[in-house]
Amino acid sequence: MSIAPAPAETKLATFRPSGRTRVISIIMILIGLFTALAFGLGSVASAHSSLTFTPVNLTAAPWHLGTLTVLTRWTNVILGLIMVALGAEMYLRQPRRGVMGRFGVVAVLFLLALLLWASRAPGPSQVGYVNVTAVLIGSSEVAMVLVFGALSGLMCERSGVVNIAIEGQYIGGAFFGSVIASTTHDFFFAAIVGAVVGGLLGLLLAFLSLRYLVDQIIVGVVIVTMISSLSSYLNLQVLTPFPQYNTGNLAPNLAIPLLSKIPIIGPVFFNQSAFFYLMLVLVGVISFALFKTRYGLHVRAVGEHPHAAATVGINVVRVRYINVVLGGAIAGIGGVAFMASQGQFQPGYTSGLGYIALAAMIFGRWRPSGAVAASVIFGLSVYLSDNLQTYSIPISTEILGMFPYIITIIVVAGLIGRVRAPGADGIPYRHE
Amino acid sequence: MRLELRGITKRFGSLVANDQISITVEPGQIHSLLGENGAGKSTLMNVLFGLLHPDEGEILIDGVPTKFENSGEAVRRGIGMVHQHFMLVPVFTVAENVVLGFEPTKSFNRVDYQKATDDIRRVSKEFNLEVDPDAVIESLPVGIQQRVEILKALSHDAEILILDEPTAVLTPQEIDALMEIMRSLAAAGKSILFITHKLKEVKAVADVITIIRQGRVVGTAEPSASESELASMMVGRDVELTVKKEPFSPGEDVFEIRDLVVRDDRGLAAVNGVSLNVRSGEILALAGVQGNGQTELVEAIAGMRPVESGTITLNGRDITNASPRKVLDAGLGHIPEDRQRDGLVMSMTVADNLVLNTPRRAPFAKRGTRNLAAVTENAVRLIKDFDIRTESPQEIVSSLSGGNQQKVIVARELSRELTFLVASQPTRGLDVGSIEYVHRQMVNHRNLGNAALVVSSELDEVFALADRIAVMYAGKISGVVDPSVSRESIGLLMAGTVMETAHD
Repeated sequence: MSIAPAPAETKLATFRPSGRTRVISIIMILIGLFTALAFGLGSVASAHSSLTFTPVNLTAAPWHLGTLTVLTRWTNVILGLIMVALGAEMYLRQPRRGVMGRFGVVAVLFLLALLLWASRAPGPSQVGYVNVTAVLIGSSEVAMVLVFGALSGLMCERSGVVNIAIEGQYIGGAFFGSVIASTTHDFFFAAIVGAVVGGLLGLLLAFLSLRYLVDQIIVGVVIVTMISSLSSYLNLQVLTPFPQYNTGNLAPNLAIPLLSKIPIIGPVFFNQSAFFYLMLVLVGVISFALFKTRYGLHVRAVGEHPHAAATVGINVVRVRYINVVLGGAIAGIGGVAFMASQGQFQPGYTSGLGYIALAAMIFGRWRPSGAVAASVIFGLSVYLSDNLQTYSIPISTEILGMFPYIITIIVVAGLIGRVRAPGADGIPYRHE
Repeated sequence: MRLELRGITKRFGSLVANDQISITVEPGQIHSLLGENGAGKSTLMNVLFGLLHPDEGEILIDGVPTKFENSGEAVRRGIGMVHQHFMLVPVFTVAENVVLGFEPTKSFNRVDYQKATDDIRRVSKEFNLEVDPDAVIESLPVGIQQRVEILKALSHDAEILILDEPTAVLTPQEIDALMEIMRSLAAAGKSILFITHKLKEVKAVADVITIIRQGRVVGTAEPSASESELASMMVGRDVELTVKKEPFSPGEDVFEIRDLVVRDDRGLAAVNGVSLNVRSGEILALAGVQGNGQTELVEAIAGMRPVESGTITLNGRDITNASPRKVLDAGLGHIPEDRQRDGLVMSMTVADNLVLNTPRRAPFAKRGTRNLAAVTENAVRLIKDFDIRTESPQEIVSSLSGGNQQKVIVARELSRELTFLVASQPTRGLDVGSIEYVHRQMVNHRNLGNAALVVSSELDEVFALADRIAVMYAGKISGVVDPSVSRESIGLLMAGTVMETAHD
């Protein structure tokens, strides 16, 4: 007589995806139908949209891609039908993986259709064409800021601390970054000061939540509120009377020889500010550190099961301190990067980017690479909602402004229970 | 390695958890530490493992006094601990868990997983502990996870292994396998400190038994000592290990569930087509390893979790998806699994907890206001009847011991008019004395012609109480048997397996 191994898959076999997959697929189908009807059939049959690819700053672009002109109506109908097909496929097959990947594709297609529709001629558009490269460059600036935030969030959450104060760290970084950049005219110092400010705010979060076990969400929200009020006050009292401290400037683009001349990719990836390259390096470094090194193994163990980590001699609280401070510093640099892409500090101009970064982190499943992919989608939608006014489309700016947040809500609601946060995320650690 | 604890004392405020405890473990010896919950075993182990620092006394390794600042240091000195709740990261692989804290590294601080895997293979071969280093922990059965814990300790060169209540989560077959592992480790010269409150296991495997009670060593015993001798040393008085039951004369079906499907928090079908019936004058014991759907089943019966499909009938009334209040009014008594979360309001008094599910009924309330005199009077009576050790009815329930907290729940439920009692792990964490008491109360309830469903993962309890035994595995009933069957065959049902004819 022998004992057959217990079938471990029993439970998995009876797994039925929750109704949420269905809801997401229905949303996808609705978005597809809306696209086909409003952006497709809603355009006159003769309308056509033009896509150009030449970079906006025409300085020495050695190449010239022709303009691509498409019929707005039928292109958008086809895009809409592709979305419907993706949604229908998901509704029927109920896949367990790639649900949010499909949603990401639909979101990007939707944004593309929206652009085509907004720029169609003859139509209400004053511009008459869409400069794809310009859109990508503009979105890449937002995406870069989001990546800094998402990296900050995942540094903290991988170690088990929720950093909802990213928004505050952005603001702090942007404020002091602007003052330093204005006085020293050096973005390097600005970045360092931004990192210090963000790191100190991280330290405050870590101290209150690790030492006194205060609820991490509450501490985070309090930090954001405090910093945004403080920055408004300082702006009024210091920056307004002494505008020389807030002249800021745009961070200069550093073109990488040869690579920056590649059509489309060149201007988007290889003709950017130093912050952009720093962001790329950080993504690589953090991925490597988290998933290959001993440090990363300790961080993830602390974030998943702190007691297990403690029993093998890992100092849980110290790991968390280090990560929360580092995460804060990264978000602080993100704030400086944001300031450097806007030119100066203005109160309230981060307008919730820190929270969107947190959503990007969740969408990216707490992985740096995922965070980048998610930030691209959110970056596109933030950029478009800010810039579609140029096309004078019949949608009010206020409604457009809600757009990134609506996507955020759908993504986060769709993801809850689907992706798994680190096991001890947000749970205070008590030494026993 | 020879380990000696000399005069260890650990106080928490005014409570003396360990009082001058001295124990010596010789190399190659399996030393059992037997004691009830709350006797101070876990405190002692945490002291030994560097998680707590003793107020007095010293730890000697091979005769040399040693101090551990933290558990990492204890591990480096050759002490390995297998915790009752495994200290394994569920989403990590076996290899990642084993090397955690002791990683071999390559350049750039990278973890050398190749070397780690090789080391694990070598150690598992040496001690005959087969595990796939690349398997993810959460996909492994509990017994294998425990094996990983042992492997983890061994690969950190542990010379002494502390096993803290290692059998609580295992099936009888897994327990046998564990004991086999323990014996072979001892034969290889490792010392084992085996902490438990289960008498049978101690007798089966220990070389030396030390019994502690209320923080003190009360004596040592040979494995040849009888179970009742060991029990009375552990409790400090004579204990009846078996409950006297009147002959079994079942009546009509009181309670019935049919094709029940209940989902757990993750949306999986934790209860997947269960049908059961309980007759009056009968105790049906539901055996099974924890986490096979028992919790969800009981929650569904008590109205605390929605039923996906199927029906629950009590006294002919359909109580499927009824609210807890309706279910209680229909004559159901519920002793929940997690007494501190679902059974009591820990910050309220004993008296209030005793009327927790009848506060609106006469005589405890009149026209929407409470009748505190009746509440107190009820409490005084139940405290006496059920022997609840409390200073007064107005004592806050969280200051009672676990056993007395459970008595509060038992008293509350059994003092109501019931026809059917559901008790989930009713004696978990209780001392032998309280177990005896709770069992007697439940048997009395049954002798009065009522029905009961007792969910337990302790086979001793199942055999002590059951008139019939149902075994649950992976959300289904894998068999309903008579209590005269062997432990072995129940164990097989608990593992969800049918007996196979011998092959090769």
